[in-house]
Amino acid sequence: MSLPLQVILMPDIAEDRATQSLKKRGSMSSLSSHEFRRKDLHGRTKDSMSTVSYMDEPSQRDDVSRLTVQMENTYQLGPTKHFPVVTVNHILKDVLTNYLQEEAYEPELCRQMTKTISEVIKARVKDFILPRYKLIVIIHIGQLSSQSIFIGSRCLWDPKNDAVSSYVFRNSSLFAVANVYAVYFE
Amino acid sequence: RWHPIGILVQDPVGFNADEAHNIVKECVDGVLGGEDCNQNNINQWTAGIVEEFLTYLVKLVKAYKYIVTGAVIQRSAYGFHTASSWFWDSTSDGTCTVRWENRTMNCIVNVFAIAVVL
Repeated sequence: MSLPLQVILMPDIAEDRATQSLKKRGSMSSLSSHEFRRKDLHGRTKDSMSTVSYMDEPSQRDDVSRLTVQMENTYQLGPTKHFPVVTVNHILKDVLTNYLQEEAYEPELCRQMTKTISEVIKARVKDFILPRYKLIVIIHIGQLSSQSIFIGSRCLWDPKNDAVSSYVFRNSSLFAVANVYAVYFE
Repeated sequence: RWHPIGILVQDPVGFNADEAHNIVKECVDGVLGGEDCNQNNINQWTAGIVEEFLTYLVKLVKAYKYIVTGAVIQRSAYGFHTASSWFWDSTSDGTCTVRWENRTMNCIVNVFAIAVVL
């Protein structure tokens, strides 16, 4: 889908400009780690939440001009190359195995680990991610025990262009689930 | 939305995270409200919460794609961590996370809304 416009540019130049403007807006990641601890003797539940957020290359000028500018028509209806699910699966497997193979479950360590791993995965997928794709990376790490856990997700998107990739890692004391969602936008 | 002279006009920009937060809370209360953690039902509950919330989002009729993730965990002495990071356009896309708990279980729901049009 594309917007009507007054000026028509060459398709490839327009695409470069669109990519550039996305880069300028930058990527923001907000990492929050939720941890549930057992109740202490008095029955109070302790839980902790820590948030780290940073935004790279924010551009004030862009925010203002964004609302008024109209995008040039690129005549591109879909992505040039589809999202490589299998490759991303391998990346997830590599990262999780490298980071968690020898680790034993510890609250502090895993709290840091979730944040680090999600950043690392995002950076690696971004390296060869195709233009016009937005990414979401979700990591769950938990202690392996006899409790039960169920994780489900539903997505409202275009199945032709968008994809999800997922991997579960287990060792003797912990488990980790990583999901990467890639969404195509115009 | 189409302006009378034929130019596509953007809806009020952004994803309303507060409202989404409230709706998710209601959904989860409705499904998990007085229940105890139960192996058999856990599948249905997670699916139910996520789908109910997605139908609400669809009714909003905005040019957004949505991803809703739910995790239901039995309450125990063991630890659990979650983290997420994203690469998107922060002016138009948004997220919301809701934590809910009762006597026997914890529930975390993440909502991500991604704008379709630049």
